[in-house]
Amino acid sequence: MQRSLLGRFIDRPEFGPFVLLVVMIVVFTSINPAFISLLNIGNTLAFTVELGLIALAMTLLMTSGEFDLSVGAVFGFSAVVMWTLFNTDIMSLPVAFLTALGIALFIGFVSGVFVTILAIPSFLVTLGMLLVVRGSALWVTDGFPQRSWRAGDQWLAEVLVGDFWICNWTIQQTTCNPGLRVYMSVIWFTLFAILCHYVLTRTAFGNWITACGGNPSAARNRGVKVTRVKIILFMFSSFMAGLAGIISSIRTTAANPNSGAGYELEVIAMVVIGGTALMGGRGTILGTVLGIFILRLMRNGIVLIGVPGLAYNIFIGAIILGMMALHSWLERRHNAGT
Amino acid sequence: MDQPLIDMRNITKHYGRIQALTDVNLKIAHNEIVGLLGDNGAGKSTLIKVLSGAVPLTSGEIWIKGQKAEINSTSDAIENGIETIYQDSALVPQLSIARNLFLGRELRKGPRFLDRMDLAEMNSVASELLRKVGISKNIPPTTPIGSLSGGERQAVAIARAMYFDSDLIILDEPTNNLGVAETIGVLKFVRDARDSGHSCIFIAHNIHHVFKVVDRMVVMRRGKIVADDLDPKTCTIADVEDVITGEDLVI
Repeated sequence: MQRSLLGRFIDRPEFGPFVLLVVMIVVFTSINPAFISLLNIGNTLAFTVELGLIALAMTLLMTSGEFDLSVGAVFGFSAVVMWTLFNTDIMSLPVAFLTALGIALFIGFVSGVFVTILAIPSFLVTLGMLLVVRGSALWVTDGFPQRSWRAGDQWLAEVLVGDFWICNWTIQQTTCNPGLRVYMSVIWFTLFAILCHYVLTRTAFGNWITACGGNPSAARNRGVKVTRVKIILFMFSSFMAGLAGIISSIRTTAANPNSGAGYELEVIAMVVIGGTALMGGRGTILGTVLGIFILRLMRNGIVLIGVPGLAYNIFIGAIILGMMALHSWLERRHNAGT
Repeated sequence: MDQPLIDMRNITKHYGRIQALTDVNLKIAHNEIVGLLGDNGAGKSTLIKVLSGAVPLTSGEIWIKGQKAEINSTSDAIENGIETIYQDSALVPQLSIARNLFLGRELRKGPRFLDRMDLAEMNSVASELLRKVGISKNIPPTTPIGSLSGGERQAVAIARAMYFDSDLIILDEPTNNLGVAETIGVLKFVRDARDSGHSCIFIAHNIHHVFKVVDRMVVMRRGKIVADDLDPKTCTIADVEDVITGEDLVI
């Protein structure tokens, strides 16, 4: 049973995405060294983590055997709700923030109830929810973006997306030169990634998540409350989509009711590229983090090396197909017991 | 007879207008292996589902060790010491042996809100248990269930029931799809379970397997118990087949 370290590493679901990420970085950098400039890293990180927050929650949800197509709509809607409430002086920003997240939680709760208690497939439930939520965002705003530049003097905005510089020390200089610009959202993403990884691998709740996706009737027979686990995960994914939407609206100083359209598929792509199974039972936060970077660096990298940005989807599609082929090969290899 | 472990009285179950169980009475003694036999649709599965809390009964009572019990869910059944091992829904293939063993009853350490599993302790208990039931063969407790053979999976499920000290272990077709050596292994686990103080209900289509291990056979037909005291030492397989199919053998 003892296998070599390399053999065990290859068997891990994170192996494929890890190799791909390394190859991408090497190729892009060798063609255009600006790829690993501090400026480019800083810009890429800021945008990456907003989608990444949703992908972390989606990983847990997909491990339990469900997925959520409404996250892109919630991403747009939450920001619209918060800024509409704040701009019309109904609420202070922190209260509007909590209200928007509360609504996001409620949206997740409703999806979860439809999926678990009414036993309707999550594809149909969250497709319906996508339309309801996106429609609400457009209706509330008449389709116009909400301004959010008054965020400048709010402490909440600083906590969520304030930026700071990591010093670029060199041997000759003793003063701090601004080097890497880091947004607070990067910190939030890191904390949530650690939290999700801990929950999935170390806690009893994480054991239940995997069991719900792997064999729901076995989980139920052992007294695991499958319905409750799934509803909590739907609420969490909706919450994270709302948080990501709000963070994005502050950074870009606009809450557009159409923003986030199509994000649901990009997020699901990040998760499956990372090695989480679409039908549940296998999930990896580490893989998702790799998947997040693969997709965002691909978008960034192909532009830097001169490929037309419009060709982006071709690469992403090819990566998804390639990764799925790899994962299914690993699965068969694993089941054959070699 | 001493006070029975399980005493099911006048159990009736309807599914809409279909009568699945009619006035079933069944007692299970301590340290007894009962073979439950019957053709497809005879009511075996329904009876087991009622006892394990998977479906509610329409009328009747279940008494456990002389106390009337309310079994409305699988958790209720587990709390009452009844563990059911279904064919396909006992284990989660993606989780390790140790994580399956403790699924729903994970050992924890540290502050409660951290919900942290004591994986080291879970793994060491699992290793010990694997060694005890004799399937150790250097299989680490971190192995996913999906890479075990059918017999090894049954063994893990039975070991789990024994570890959590269930009084009654219900086995639903435990020898289905198993090879000869594995079947012998599983039958041995069932006997070991009885010898260490557990009772079992053993459901199988293969009457030969049932004969080898049970103390008593109960036969169901069309939702009723038609024989509840067939002794494998005194009757033949042909006799039992006649009772199952309804070729008249007067009991």
